[in-house]
Amino acid sequence: MSGSAFKVCMLGDFGVGKTSLVARFVRSTFSDKYLTTIGVKVDSKEVLRAGREPVKLVLWDIAGRNALDTVGANYLRGAHALLLVADGTREASLATALDLLMQSRSLLPSAQVVLAINKQDLVERWEVGPATVRQLRQSLPVFETSAASGAGVADAFAAIAAGLAP
Amino acid sequence: MIDFDALPARVRDFLRELLLERAHVLVLGLGKDWSLREVLGDADWHELDIAQPGALLASLHDLFVGIEPGSDEELPFVELANGRSVHVHRLVDGDGFFLILLDAQAARDAQRNPQQLANEAALAGHEKSKAIQSLKQIRSELEHQQARLEEANNLKNALIATMSHEFRTPLASAFGQLRELELRRSAGDAEIRALRRSLSHLFVLAENLLEYGRGEAGGGLLHPVPIDLRALLDDCSSMFRPLAEAKGLAFHASLDAASSAPACFDEVKLRQILINLLANAVRYTQRGEIVLALRWDGERLHIEVRDTGIGIASEFRASVFRPFNRGAQTGSRGAGLGLSIVQRLIEQMRGRIELDSEIARGSCFRLELPGAALAAAPATRGDLQGRVFVVDDDPDITQLLEHALGGLGLEVQCFAEASSALDAALAQPPALLVVDMQMPGLSGGEMVFALRASGHRGAILVLSANATVEARDAALRVGADRYLTKPIDFAHLEASVRDLLARG
Repeated sequence: MSGSAFKVCMLGDFGVGKTSLVARFVRSTFSDKYLTTIGVKVDSKEVLRAGREPVKLVLWDIAGRNALDTVGANYLRGAHALLLVADGTREASLATALDLLMQSRSLLPSAQVVLAINKQDLVERWEVGPATVRQLRQSLPVFETSAASGAGVADAFAAIAAGLAP
Repeated sequence: MIDFDALPARVRDFLRELLLERAHVLVLGLGKDWSLREVLGDADWHELDIAQPGALLASLHDLFVGIEPGSDEELPFVELANGRSVHVHRLVDGDGFFLILLDAQAARDAQRNPQQLANEAALAGHEKSKAIQSLKQIRSELEHQQARLEEANNLKNALIATMSHEFRTPLASAFGQLRELELRRSAGDAEIRALRRSLSHLFVLAENLLEYGRGEAGGGLLHPVPIDLRALLDDCSSMFRPLAEAKGLAFHASLDAASSAPACFDEVKLRQILINLLANAVRYTQRGEIVLALRWDGERLHIEVRDTGIGIASEFRASVFRPFNRGAQTGSRGAGLGLSIVQRLIEQMRGRIELDSEIARGSCFRLELPGAALAAAPATRGDLQGRVFVVDDDPDITQLLEHALGGLGLEVQCFAEASSALDAALAQPPALLVVDMQMPGLSGGEMVFALRASGHRGAILVLSANATVEARDAALRVGADRYLTKPIDFAHLEASVRDLLARG
């Protein structure tokens, strides 16, 4: 393995597309069939960084939940970064993602955080408005992504990779 | 904690099988540097190639990225890159550690099914609530649009009622003055006939518009009167013969009166039908002839309007009777209302229409209209007696009515507004009240209602410019006996007055 490995946890409500984002990023595949994740799936991908050593992102695709229980918290241990995922068509999932971030802060006070608002291909059905996204960008990096089309997915992971030291 | 060795042999065997074999236990002994020291257990099930353990070890190594190496760990339900779901335990031992993998596939599947159902139900519930919200919004928008349409429709109806009044009132006055002229001079006088013809044409045009605008507000009322078919034919001839001949067309008009029974029709509507059909025939014929043939058999009037014009293609024959249809006949210049109005009028008169047509050969419209019975019998003029109140804010109308009703022998008293007429009627009830509906101050309807409420039993005839069924019904509801529309058809008025006074 070249470069360092970093643990990145995907965190968000069920059905927001965490597994699909990993599948798109790691294998360039997509299935619109929803299959709930039990426990955690671990995958990895090496990411090149301009002028820097590449990094290996070890992606923890944690089962969707709206609150962090003991098991969920255990999965988060040692994570270097969090990719919060929300579904633009379900505004409540954004609140859940932010809620999970608040809950995880005590466990991971220095983890890097990026927010992906997924299902950009259904943007005309989004409940999350542009003003909300604009406001969120003032406090954390936000990417509109689509696991279906691939839009924004690599950018979101690249932003995580870019923020990881060294 | 149970003492395993103290357990009976059979129980120990059972638990061993359950925990070790069914859980496909795999124990990996590893050095700090992840060098593989020993492998115990079900390597095959975990797809561990002992000769090349790299892929599985790499997966397992990923699990501990970021986690300090010196502690025992438990990671339940981990799906590794090879798709296997395992419970992973790390036990630190001296300068190395053990990784214990237990099969979690069955347990994961057992958890997944209900979880999948629950999640799908929650997602479907969200979609459902969004759909309901969306439907509610659509419904609210539809209700809003419907309210706007109703408002627009009410406005249209109000506009039509106003237009009706605006058109009919001056026309009534013009027709009344024309009648006076006809009484003083010969009715056959060419200038007077030209005047009547043009007024009639103007009236029909206005009626066409009003008839169309009336639309769903209900068909206009029929006022059947005995008509002179010969005079009607002559009027049509003198109106359209010059137009036809100016285009080099022959114009033939004929009447076959097989019965001497009076032909009773709503003359305005009948003229409207004929003028619309003849105007089309002249418009769409460039050479040849126009034929108008009337036949009265005592019960039905048969009308044929034939031309040698451009004809109507079979695919357009149904659509020519739709309003604003201008595509059916090449070179159309009209508004496309005529035939739709003709059909509507025929329906109102309970008649029927047939169309034969051939492209470049011409068209033939055949109509059959049943004659109406007229209640009133003709009588000698000037034979009636009694007091009549005429109430109308238009002095031309009151003057005409005074003259017409006075001519029947009645004592006529005119009022320009309803409240003084009401006082007078309450003081000395007239035998007949002829009243307009729309007047400033007290309306005709209010006056009629007040009279009936006070026990007035005299006849009440409403004469209004509003030709809608709704207006008639409203007048009858407040207590009127009869509802006639302007312009005043004097023959119909006289028949109605005689009928009402005869009832006592």
